[in-house]
Amino acid sequence: MTVTESLCPVCLARLPARREIVGEDGWLVRTCPQHGEFRSRFWHGPPGLAGWERPKTPRLGSTPAGTAPGEGCPFVCGLCPEHTQRTCTVVFEITGRCNLGCPVCFADAGTGFAADPTLAAVETRLMRARRAAGPANLQLSGGEPTLRTDLPEIVALAKKAGFPFVQLNTNGLALAADPALAGRLAGAGLDSVFLQCDGVSDAVHVALRGRSLAREKRAAIDACAAANLGVVLVATLVPGVNDGEVGALIRLAATLAPAVRGVHFQPAAHFGRYPGNGANAPRLTLPEVMAALEGQTEGMVRAADLHPPCCEHSLCSFSATYRVAPGGRLTLAGGGGCCDKSAIPAEEGARQSMAFVARQWGAAKAAPAGEQIKDDFDRFLAAAAAAPSLSISAMAFMDAWTLDLERARGCCIHVAAPDDRLIPFCLYNLTAADGTALYRRKTCA
Amino acid sequence: MNDTPTYLPESGSWLCAACNQPLVAAPVGVTYLQGGFTITLLTCPACGLSLVPEFLAVGKMFEVEQLLEDK
Repeated sequence: MTVTESLCPVCLARLPARREIVGEDGWLVRTCPQHGEFRSRFWHGPPGLAGWERPKTPRLGSTPAGTAPGEGCPFVCGLCPEHTQRTCTVVFEITGRCNLGCPVCFADAGTGFAADPTLAAVETRLMRARRAAGPANLQLSGGEPTLRTDLPEIVALAKKAGFPFVQLNTNGLALAADPALAGRLAGAGLDSVFLQCDGVSDAVHVALRGRSLAREKRAAIDACAAANLGVVLVATLVPGVNDGEVGALIRLAATLAPAVRGVHFQPAAHFGRYPGNGANAPRLTLPEVMAALEGQTEGMVRAADLHPPCCEHSLCSFSATYRVAPGGRLTLAGGGGCCDKSAIPAEEGARQSMAFVARQWGAAKAAPAGEQIKDDFDRFLAAAAAAPSLSISAMAFMDAWTLDLERARGCCIHVAAPDDRLIPFCLYNLTAADGTALYRRKTCA
Repeated sequence: MNDTPTYLPESGSWLCAACNQPLVAAPVGVTYLQGGFTITLLTCPACGLSLVPEFLAVGKMFEVEQLLEDK
Protein backbone atom coordinates (compact mmCIF):
# COMPACT_ATOMS: atom_id res chain seq x y z
CA MET A 1 0.00 0.00 0.00
CA THR A 2 1.21 3.54 -0.74
CA VAL A 3 -0.30 6.83 0.29
CA THR A 4 -1.35 9.75 -1.84
CA GLU A 5 -4.19 12.26 -1.98
CA SER A 6 -7.33 12.47 -4.06
CA LEU A 7 -10.65 14.29 -4.31
CA CYS A 8 -14.20 13.28 -3.51
CA PRO A 9 -15.76 12.77 -6.95
CA VAL A 10 -19.01 14.26 -5.67
CA CYS A 11 -17.97 17.43 -3.82
CA LEU A 12 -14.31 17.67 -4.96
CA ALA A 13 -13.07 17.93 -1.36
CA ARG A 14 -9.40 16.97 -1.03
CA LEU A 15 -8.98 13.69 0.84
CA PRO A 16 -6.10 11.51 2.02
CA ALA A 17 -6.02 8.41 -0.16
CA ARG A 18 -4.18 5.13 -0.45
CA ARG A 19 -3.24 2.84 -3.30
CA GLU A 20 -4.16 -0.72 -2.38
CA ILE A 21 -2.47 -3.53 -4.24
CA VAL A 22 -4.61 -6.63 -4.61
CA GLY A 23 -2.72 -9.23 -6.62
CA GLU A 24 -1.82 -7.50 -9.87
CA ASP A 25 -4.49 -4.84 -9.46
CA GLY A 26 -4.22 -1.36 -7.99
CA TRP A 27 -7.11 0.43 -6.29
CA LEU A 28 -7.33 4.08 -5.26
CA VAL A 29 -9.30 4.31 -2.01
CA ARG A 30 -10.46 7.32 -0.04
CA THR A 31 -13.36 8.27 2.20
CA CYS A 32 -15.29 11.54 2.10
CA PRO A 33 -16.87 12.43 5.45
CA GLN A 34 -19.97 13.52 3.54
CA HIS A 35 -20.18 11.08 0.64
CA GLY A 36 -18.56 7.91 1.91
CA GLU A 37 -15.86 5.61 0.55
CA PHE A 38 -14.77 5.55 -3.08
CA ARG A 39 -12.71 2.69 -4.54
CA SER A 40 -11.49 3.03 -8.12
CA ARG A 41 -9.39 0.48 -9.94
CA PHE A 42 -6.56 2.22 -11.78
CA TRP A 43 -4.42 -0.83 -12.67
CA HIS A 44 -5.72 -4.23 -13.73
CA GLY A 45 -3.61 -7.25 -14.53
CA PRO A 46 -0.01 -8.04 -15.44
CA PRO A 47 2.64 -6.67 -15.24
CA GLY A 48 1.28 -5.61 -11.84
CA LEU A 49 2.46 -2.55 -9.99
CA ALA A 50 5.57 -4.07 -8.44
CA GLY A 51 8.52 -2.97 -10.52
CA TRP A 52 6.51 -0.66 -12.79
CA GLU A 53 8.34 2.45 -11.79
CA ARG A 54 10.56 5.16 -13.24
CA PRO A 55 11.14 7.57 -10.35
CA LYS A 56 12.03 11.18 -11.07
CA THR A 57 14.34 13.10 -8.81
CA PRO A 58 14.38 16.88 -8.48
CA ARG A 59 17.19 18.55 -10.36
CA LEU A 60 20.33 18.89 -8.28
CA GLY A 61 20.78 22.39 -7.00
CA SER A 62 17.22 23.42 -7.77
CA THR A 63 15.11 25.25 -5.26
CA PRO A 64 13.58 22.82 -2.79
CA ALA A 65 9.91 22.19 -3.48
CA GLY A 66 7.63 24.32 -1.37
CA THR A 67 3.97 23.93 -0.57
CA ALA A 68 0.97 25.10 -2.52
CA PRO A 69 -0.43 28.41 -1.33
CA GLY A 70 -3.96 29.10 -0.09
CA GLU A 71 -6.38 26.26 -0.56
CA GLY A 72 -3.54 24.03 -1.73
CA CYS A 73 -3.22 21.37 -4.41
CA PRO A 74 -5.14 20.96 -6.72
CA PHE A 75 -7.12 24.19 -6.27
CA VAL A 76 -4.41 26.78 -6.96
CA CYS A 77 -2.93 25.51 -10.22
CA GLY A 78 -0.63 27.51 -12.35
CA LEU A 79 2.23 25.17 -11.45
CA CYS A 80 2.76 25.75 -7.74
CA PRO A 81 5.85 24.85 -5.70
CA GLU A 82 4.47 21.37 -5.03
CA HIS A 83 4.58 20.46 -8.70
CA THR A 84 7.42 18.03 -9.47
CA GLN A 85 7.79 18.16 -13.24
CA ARG A 86 8.27 20.93 -15.77
CA THR A 87 6.13 21.40 -18.85
CA CYS A 88 7.07 19.18 -21.78
CA THR A 89 3.90 19.83 -23.80
CA VAL A 90 1.73 22.94 -23.74
CA VAL A 91 -1.83 22.23 -24.87
CA PHE A 92 -3.25 25.40 -26.37
CA GLU A 93 -6.93 25.57 -27.29
CA ILE A 94 -7.68 27.98 -30.12
CA THR A 95 -11.41 27.36 -30.49
CA GLY A 96 -14.30 25.73 -28.67
CA ARG A 97 -16.12 25.03 -31.92
CA CYS A 98 -16.21 21.59 -33.49
CA ASN A 99 -17.51 19.96 -36.68
CA LEU A 100 -18.31 16.67 -34.98
CA GLY A 101 -20.70 16.11 -32.10
CA CYS A 102 -19.01 13.15 -30.47
CA PRO A 103 -20.81 11.42 -27.59
CA VAL A 104 -17.39 11.33 -25.87
CA CYS A 105 -15.39 14.59 -25.60
CA PHE A 106 -13.09 15.55 -22.77
CA ALA A 107 -13.38 19.19 -23.75
CA ASP A 108 -17.18 19.05 -24.12
CA ALA A 109 -16.53 20.95 -27.34
CA GLY A 110 -19.13 22.40 -29.63
CA THR A 111 -21.69 23.12 -26.94
CA GLY A 112 -20.71 26.65 -26.04
CA PHE A 113 -20.99 30.01 -27.68
CA ALA A 114 -17.75 31.64 -26.58
CA ALA A 115 -16.08 33.48 -29.43
CA ASP A 116 -12.69 32.25 -30.59
CA PRO A 117 -9.78 34.29 -29.26
CA THR A 118 -8.58 36.81 -31.85
CA LEU A 119 -5.31 36.24 -33.68
CA ALA A 120 -3.74 39.06 -31.66
CA ALA A 121 -4.93 37.48 -28.40
CA VAL A 122 -3.58 34.11 -29.51
CA GLU A 123 -0.20 35.68 -30.26
CA THR A 124 0.00 37.30 -26.83
CA ARG A 125 -1.04 34.12 -25.06
CA LEU A 126 1.40 31.99 -27.05
CA MET A 127 4.28 34.26 -26.04
CA ARG A 128 3.22 34.16 -22.39
CA ALA A 129 2.85 30.37 -22.49
CA ARG A 130 6.30 30.00 -24.04
CA ARG A 131 7.80 32.24 -21.37
CA ALA A 132 6.12 30.26 -18.58
CA ALA A 133 6.86 26.81 -20.00
CA GLY A 134 10.33 27.26 -21.42
CA PRO A 135 11.24 25.53 -24.69
CA ALA A 136 8.45 22.95 -24.56
CA ASN A 137 6.53 21.24 -27.35
CA LEU A 138 3.18 22.75 -28.30
CA GLN A 139 -0.08 21.10 -29.24
CA LEU A 140 -2.76 23.26 -30.86
CA SER A 141 -6.10 21.89 -29.76
CA GLY A 142 -9.74 22.76 -29.30
CA GLY A 143 -12.56 22.17 -30.17
CA GLU A 144 -11.49 21.42 -33.71
CA PRO A 145 -8.60 23.78 -34.53
CA THR A 146 -9.02 23.44 -38.32
CA LEU A 147 -12.29 25.36 -38.11
CA ARG A 148 -10.16 28.46 -37.83
CA THR A 149 -9.31 29.78 -41.27
CA ASP A 150 -6.29 31.57 -39.78
CA LEU A 151 -4.76 28.29 -38.55
CA PRO A 152 -1.61 28.62 -40.72
CA GLU A 153 -1.04 32.07 -39.23
CA ILE A 154 -1.45 30.62 -35.72
CA VAL A 155 1.09 27.90 -36.50
CA ALA A 156 3.53 30.55 -37.71
CA LEU A 157 2.94 32.59 -34.55
CA ALA A 158 3.62 29.52 -32.41
CA LYS A 159 6.95 29.03 -34.14
CA LYS A 160 7.72 32.72 -33.80
CA ALA A 161 6.93 32.52 -30.08
CA GLY A 162 9.71 29.95 -29.78
CA PHE A 163 7.96 26.58 -29.65
CA PRO A 164 10.41 24.26 -31.44
CA PHE A 165 7.84 21.53 -32.15
CA VAL A 166 4.24 22.33 -33.06
CA GLN A 167 1.59 19.65 -33.35
CA LEU A 168 -2.04 19.89 -34.45
CA ASN A 169 -4.69 17.90 -32.59
CA THR A 170 -7.44 17.27 -35.14
CA ASN A 171 -10.19 14.95 -36.30
CA GLY A 172 -8.75 15.30 -39.82
CA LEU A 173 -11.99 16.21 -41.61
CA ALA A 174 -10.63 19.50 -42.94
CA LEU A 175 -7.33 17.89 -43.97
CA ALA A 176 -9.30 15.29 -45.93
CA ALA A 177 -11.66 17.80 -47.53
CA ASP A 178 -8.92 20.21 -48.62
CA PRO A 179 -5.69 18.35 -49.40
CA ALA A 180 -3.89 21.68 -49.89
CA LEU A 181 -4.43 22.60 -46.22
CA ALA A 182 -1.73 20.19 -45.01
CA GLY A 183 0.78 21.89 -47.30
CA ARG A 184 -0.19 25.34 -46.06
CA LEU A 185 0.21 24.21 -42.45
CA ALA A 186 3.56 22.55 -43.17
CA GLY A 187 4.67 25.74 -44.92
CA ALA A 188 3.77 27.70 -41.80
CA GLY A 189 5.97 25.43 -39.70
CA LEU A 190 3.68 22.66 -38.47
CA ASP A 191 5.63 19.53 -37.55
CA SER A 192 3.08 16.88 -36.69
CA VAL A 193 -0.59 15.94 -36.75
CA PHE A 194 -2.18 14.19 -33.77
CA LEU A 195 -4.97 12.56 -35.75
CA GLN A 196 -7.97 11.30 -33.85
CA CYS A 197 -8.46 7.75 -35.20
CA ASP A 198 -10.28 5.38 -32.89
CA GLY A 199 -10.11 2.29 -35.05
CA VAL A 200 -10.16 0.96 -38.58
CA SER A 201 -13.86 0.19 -39.02
CA ASP A 202 -16.68 2.59 -39.64
CA ALA A 203 -18.63 0.84 -36.88
CA VAL A 204 -16.14 2.20 -34.33
CA HIS A 205 -16.27 5.72 -35.77
CA VAL A 206 -20.08 5.64 -35.76
CA ALA A 207 -20.16 4.48 -32.14
CA LEU A 208 -17.67 7.05 -30.84
CA ARG A 209 -18.00 9.94 -33.29
CA GLY A 210 -21.50 9.58 -34.66
CA ARG A 211 -20.62 8.95 -38.31
CA SER A 212 -18.49 6.93 -40.74
CA LEU A 213 -15.00 8.38 -40.93
CA ALA A 214 -12.62 5.67 -42.16
CA ARG A 215 -12.38 7.21 -45.65
CA GLU A 216 -11.71 10.69 -44.28
CA LYS A 217 -9.02 9.44 -41.90
CA ARG A 218 -7.18 7.78 -44.76
CA ALA A 219 -7.46 10.88 -46.94
CA ALA A 220 -6.13 13.03 -44.08
CA ILE A 221 -3.14 10.70 -43.62
CA ASP A 222 -2.41 10.83 -47.36
CA ALA A 223 -2.58 14.62 -47.36
CA CYS A 224 -0.19 14.84 -44.41
CA ALA A 225 2.20 12.39 -46.03
CA ALA A 226 2.25 14.48 -49.19
CA ALA A 227 3.02 17.58 -47.12
CA ASN A 228 5.76 15.80 -45.12
CA LEU A 229 3.90 16.14 -41.81
CA GLY A 230 4.37 13.37 -39.26
CA VAL A 231 1.11 11.66 -38.30
CA VAL A 232 0.26 10.04 -34.98
CA LEU A 233 -2.94 7.98 -34.89
CA VAL A 234 -4.71 8.68 -31.61
CA ALA A 235 -7.41 6.34 -30.38
CA THR A 236 -9.75 7.07 -27.51
CA LEU A 237 -10.39 3.59 -26.12
CA VAL A 238 -13.79 2.66 -24.72
CA PRO A 239 -14.14 -0.88 -23.38
CA GLY A 240 -16.45 -3.00 -25.49
CA VAL A 241 -16.51 -0.43 -28.29
CA ASN A 242 -13.05 -0.27 -29.87
CA ASP A 243 -10.62 -2.10 -27.61
CA GLY A 244 -10.92 -4.98 -30.08
CA GLU A 245 -9.34 -2.88 -32.85
CA VAL A 246 -6.03 -1.92 -31.27
CA GLY A 247 -4.19 -4.65 -33.19
CA ALA A 248 -5.83 -3.68 -36.49
CA LEU A 249 -4.86 -0.06 -35.87
CA ILE A 250 -1.23 -1.05 -35.24
CA ARG A 251 -1.20 -3.05 -38.48
CA LEU A 252 -2.70 -0.12 -40.41
CA ALA A 253 -0.09 2.24 -38.93
CA ALA A 254 2.72 -0.17 -39.84
CA THR A 255 1.59 -0.30 -43.47
CA LEU A 256 1.51 3.51 -43.56
CA ALA A 257 4.92 4.09 -41.93
CA PRO A 258 6.95 6.27 -42.23
CA ALA A 259 4.06 8.70 -42.94
CA VAL A 260 2.47 7.42 -39.75
CA ARG A 261 5.01 7.85 -36.98
CA GLY A 262 3.15 6.50 -33.98
CA VAL A 263 -0.04 5.15 -32.48
CA HIS A 264 -1.17 6.64 -29.20
CA PHE A 265 -3.96 5.18 -27.09
CA GLN A 266 -6.00 7.18 -24.62
CA PRO A 267 -8.34 5.06 -22.49
CA ALA A 268 -11.44 7.23 -22.08
CA ALA A 269 -11.70 9.08 -18.79
CA HIS A 270 -14.99 10.23 -17.38
CA PHE A 271 -14.73 13.98 -17.80
CA GLY A 272 -16.25 16.56 -20.07
CA ARG A 273 -18.92 14.85 -22.18
CA TYR A 274 -19.24 11.14 -21.44
CA PRO A 275 -22.43 9.10 -21.33
CA GLY A 276 -23.52 7.31 -18.19
CA ASN A 277 -22.54 7.46 -14.56
CA GLY A 278 -18.87 8.01 -13.75
CA ALA A 279 -19.04 5.87 -10.64
CA ASN A 280 -19.95 2.75 -12.63
CA ALA A 281 -18.29 3.58 -15.94
CA PRO A 282 -16.14 0.78 -17.33
CA ARG A 283 -12.53 1.95 -17.43
CA LEU A 284 -9.67 0.49 -19.37
CA THR A 285 -6.38 0.59 -17.46
CA LEU A 286 -2.88 0.61 -18.95
CA PRO A 287 -2.20 -3.13 -18.35
CA GLU A 288 -5.41 -3.98 -20.20
CA VAL A 289 -4.22 -1.95 -23.19
CA MET A 290 -0.89 -3.79 -23.01
CA ALA A 291 -2.71 -7.15 -22.99
CA ALA A 292 -4.88 -6.11 -25.93
CA LEU A 293 -1.78 -5.06 -27.89
CA GLU A 294 -0.06 -8.37 -27.24
CA GLY A 295 -3.17 -10.45 -27.90
CA GLN A 296 -4.14 -8.68 -31.10
CA THR A 297 -0.74 -8.41 -32.78
CA GLU A 298 0.19 -12.11 -32.62
CA GLY A 299 2.84 -11.14 -30.09
CA MET A 300 4.64 -8.64 -32.37
CA VAL A 301 4.02 -6.14 -29.59
CA ARG A 302 4.65 -7.75 -26.22
CA ALA A 303 3.59 -6.29 -22.90
CA ALA A 304 7.18 -6.81 -21.76
CA ASP A 305 8.38 -4.41 -24.49
CA LEU A 306 6.48 -1.49 -22.98
CA HIS A 307 8.18 0.69 -20.42
CA PRO A 308 7.14 3.43 -17.99
CA PRO A 309 7.82 7.04 -18.97
CA CYS A 310 10.92 9.08 -18.19
CA CYS A 311 9.00 12.37 -17.96
CA GLU A 312 5.50 12.07 -16.46
CA HIS A 313 4.52 9.93 -13.45
CA SER A 314 5.18 6.22 -13.91
CA LEU A 315 1.49 5.30 -13.55
CA CYS A 316 0.40 7.66 -16.32
CA SER A 317 1.76 6.09 -19.49
CA PHE A 318 3.73 3.45 -21.32
CA SER A 319 5.57 3.40 -24.61
CA ALA A 320 7.95 1.50 -26.86
CA THR A 321 9.45 2.08 -30.26
CA TYR A 322 9.53 -0.49 -33.05
CA ARG A 323 11.16 -0.89 -36.42
CA VAL A 324 8.79 -1.66 -39.26
CA ALA A 325 10.29 -4.19 -41.63
CA PRO A 326 9.01 -4.46 -45.20
CA GLY A 327 5.67 -6.22 -45.01
CA GLY A 328 4.75 -4.44 -41.80
CA ARG A 329 6.50 -6.76 -39.33
CA LEU A 330 7.39 -4.95 -36.11
CA THR A 331 10.54 -5.57 -34.11
CA LEU A 332 11.42 -3.76 -30.92
CA ALA A 333 13.90 -0.98 -31.62
CA GLY A 334 17.08 -0.63 -29.67
CA GLY A 335 16.92 -4.13 -28.24
CA GLY A 336 14.58 -2.90 -25.50
CA GLY A 337 17.45 -2.09 -23.18
CA CYS A 338 17.65 1.65 -23.73
CA CYS A 339 15.23 2.61 -20.99
CA ASP A 340 16.12 1.35 -17.61
CA LYS A 341 13.83 1.80 -14.64
CA SER A 342 16.31 3.57 -12.40
CA ALA A 343 15.63 7.05 -11.08
CA ILE A 344 16.14 9.86 -13.54
CA PRO A 345 16.42 13.59 -12.82
CA ALA A 346 13.05 15.15 -13.67
CA GLU A 347 14.64 17.77 -15.92
CA GLU A 348 16.63 15.16 -17.86
CA GLY A 349 13.53 12.97 -18.23
CA ALA A 350 11.62 15.93 -19.65
CA ARG A 351 14.46 16.72 -22.05
CA GLN A 352 14.58 13.15 -23.30
CA SER A 353 10.84 12.99 -23.71
CA MET A 354 10.55 16.31 -25.56
CA ALA A 355 13.39 15.39 -27.89
CA PHE A 356 11.93 11.96 -28.55
CA VAL A 357 8.47 13.34 -29.31
CA ALA A 358 9.85 16.00 -31.64
CA ARG A 359 11.93 13.44 -33.49
CA GLN A 360 9.53 10.50 -33.53
CA TRP A 361 6.23 12.31 -34.05
CA GLY A 362 7.54 14.75 -36.63
CA ALA A 363 8.18 13.70 -40.23
CA ALA A 364 10.82 11.04 -40.75
CA LYS A 365 14.18 12.60 -41.46
CA ALA A 366 15.64 11.86 -44.88
CA ALA A 367 18.45 9.34 -44.62
CA PRO A 368 21.64 9.50 -46.68
CA ALA A 369 21.37 7.59 -49.95
CA GLY A 370 23.51 6.84 -52.99
CA GLU A 371 26.53 9.10 -53.27
CA GLN A 372 25.72 10.73 -49.91
CA ILE A 373 26.79 7.53 -48.17
CA LYS A 374 30.42 8.13 -47.36
CA ASP A 375 31.11 6.12 -44.22
CA ASP A 376 29.70 3.60 -41.75
CA PHE A 377 27.72 6.27 -39.86
CA ASP A 378 25.88 7.03 -43.12
CA ARG A 379 25.38 3.31 -43.76
CA PHE A 380 23.92 2.92 -40.25
CA LEU A 381 21.49 5.81 -40.85
CA ALA A 382 20.51 4.48 -44.29
CA ALA A 383 19.89 0.98 -42.91
CA ALA A 384 17.73 2.39 -40.11
CA ALA A 385 15.65 4.37 -42.62
CA ALA A 386 14.90 1.19 -44.56
CA ALA A 387 12.97 -0.01 -41.50
CA PRO A 388 11.19 3.14 -40.29
CA SER A 389 10.38 3.50 -36.64
CA LEU A 390 6.88 3.49 -35.16
CA SER A 391 6.13 4.44 -31.57
CA ILE A 392 3.35 2.76 -29.63
CA SER A 393 2.21 4.51 -26.50
CA ALA A 394 -0.71 5.06 -24.18
CA MET A 395 -1.61 7.64 -21.59
CA ALA A 396 -4.08 7.06 -18.79
CA PHE A 397 -5.96 10.25 -18.02
CA MET A 398 -7.45 10.63 -14.56
CA ASP A 399 -11.04 11.64 -13.91
CA ALA A 400 -12.69 12.56 -10.61
CA TRP A 401 -12.90 8.88 -9.64
CA THR A 402 -9.33 7.94 -10.48
CA LEU A 403 -7.56 11.21 -9.58
CA ASP A 404 -4.29 10.60 -7.74
CA LEU A 405 -2.73 13.92 -6.75
CA GLU A 406 0.81 12.54 -6.66
CA ARG A 407 0.37 11.68 -10.34
CA ALA A 408 -1.13 15.11 -11.07
CA ARG A 409 1.85 16.80 -9.40
CA GLY A 410 4.19 14.84 -11.68
CA CYS A 411 2.29 15.83 -14.83
CA CYS A 412 4.20 17.39 -17.74
CA ILE A 413 1.27 18.04 -20.10
CA HIS A 414 -0.14 21.40 -19.24
CA VAL A 415 -3.05 23.32 -20.70
CA ALA A 416 -2.40 27.02 -21.24
CA ALA A 417 -5.58 28.37 -19.66
CA PRO A 418 -7.16 31.57 -21.05
CA ASP A 419 -5.84 33.43 -18.00
CA ASP A 420 -2.28 32.27 -18.87
CA ARG A 421 -1.93 29.74 -16.06
CA LEU A 422 -0.38 26.37 -16.95
CA ILE A 423 -2.67 23.66 -15.54
CA PRO A 424 -2.06 19.88 -15.62
CA PHE A 425 -4.23 18.39 -18.36
CA CYS A 426 -6.31 16.06 -16.17
CA LEU A 427 -7.00 18.75 -13.59
CA TYR A 428 -7.98 21.25 -16.26
CA ASN A 429 -10.53 18.84 -17.69
CA LEU A 430 -11.68 17.25 -14.46
CA THR A 431 -15.40 17.37 -13.74
CA ALA A 432 -17.27 16.22 -10.62
CA ALA A 433 -20.11 13.70 -10.72
CA ASP A 434 -22.61 16.49 -11.42
CA GLY A 435 -20.47 17.97 -14.22
CA THR A 436 -19.01 20.82 -12.16
CA ALA A 437 -15.59 21.65 -13.59
CA LEU A 438 -12.55 22.04 -11.36
CA TYR A 439 -10.98 24.46 -13.85
CA ARG A 440 -12.36 24.52 -17.37
CA ARG A 441 -14.45 27.62 -17.84
CA LYS A 442 -17.99 26.81 -18.84
CA THR A 443 -18.80 28.38 -22.17
CA CYS A 444 -22.57 28.27 -21.84
CA ALA A 445 -25.09 28.27 -19.04
CA MET B 1 48.38 1.94 -40.95
CA ASN B 2 44.69 1.35 -41.48
CA ASP B 3 42.33 2.49 -44.23
CA THR B 4 39.26 3.24 -42.08
CA PRO B 5 37.57 6.68 -42.28
CA THR B 6 39.55 9.25 -40.33
CA TYR B 7 37.98 11.99 -38.21
CA LEU B 8 40.53 14.49 -37.00
CA PRO B 9 40.05 17.89 -35.35
CA GLU B 10 40.07 20.74 -37.84
CA SER B 11 43.15 22.29 -36.27
CA GLY B 12 45.55 22.18 -33.39
CA SER B 13 48.26 20.05 -31.95
CA TRP B 14 46.70 17.85 -29.31
CA LEU B 15 48.09 16.49 -26.08
CA CYS B 16 46.39 14.11 -23.65
CA ALA B 17 45.62 16.22 -20.58
CA ALA B 18 46.08 13.27 -18.24
CA CYS B 19 49.25 11.75 -19.73
CA ASN B 20 50.83 14.78 -21.46
CA GLN B 21 51.43 12.59 -24.52
CA PRO B 22 50.86 13.77 -28.09
CA LEU B 23 47.78 12.11 -29.58
CA VAL B 24 48.30 9.83 -32.57
CA ALA B 25 45.86 8.57 -35.19
CA ALA B 26 44.69 5.05 -34.30
CA PRO B 27 41.83 2.69 -35.16
CA VAL B 28 38.91 2.85 -32.73
CA GLY B 29 35.93 0.49 -32.56
CA VAL B 30 32.46 2.10 -32.60
CA THR B 31 29.71 -0.15 -31.27
CA TYR B 32 25.97 0.43 -31.56
CA LEU B 33 23.71 -2.32 -30.22
CA GLN B 34 24.65 -5.52 -32.00
CA GLY B 35 26.64 -3.86 -34.78
CA GLY B 36 29.85 -1.94 -35.02
CA PHE B 37 32.60 -0.60 -37.23
CA THR B 38 36.06 0.87 -37.01
CA ILE B 39 37.10 4.48 -37.52
CA THR B 40 40.34 6.40 -37.01
CA LEU B 41 40.57 8.99 -34.25
CA LEU B 42 43.37 10.80 -32.43
CA THR B 43 44.18 8.61 -29.46
CA CYS B 44 46.52 8.80 -26.49
CA PRO B 45 49.17 6.08 -26.85
CA ALA B 46 49.48 5.89 -23.05
CA CYS B 47 45.92 5.69 -21.73
CA GLY B 48 44.03 4.86 -24.93
CA LEU B 49 41.41 7.63 -24.61
CA SER B 50 40.33 9.02 -27.98
CA LEU B 51 39.37 12.50 -29.10
CA VAL B 52 35.99 12.69 -30.85
CA PRO B 53 36.09 15.93 -32.84
CA GLU B 54 33.18 18.29 -32.34
CA PHE B 55 31.87 18.03 -35.90
CA LEU B 56 31.51 14.26 -35.48
CA ALA B 57 30.06 14.40 -31.95
CA VAL B 58 27.32 16.85 -32.88
CA GLY B 59 26.97 15.55 -36.44
CA LYS B 60 26.68 11.97 -37.60
CA MET B 61 27.40 10.46 -34.20
CA PHE B 62 24.59 12.53 -32.69
CA GLU B 63 22.21 11.47 -35.48
CA VAL B 64 22.93 7.81 -34.89
CA GLU B 65 22.55 8.14 -31.13
CA GLN B 66 19.24 9.95 -31.56
CA LEU B 67 17.96 6.93 -33.46
CA LEU B 68 18.66 4.83 -30.41
CA GLU B 69 17.33 7.14 -27.70
CA ASP B 70 13.88 6.23 -26.45
CA LYS B 71 11.38 8.11 -24.37
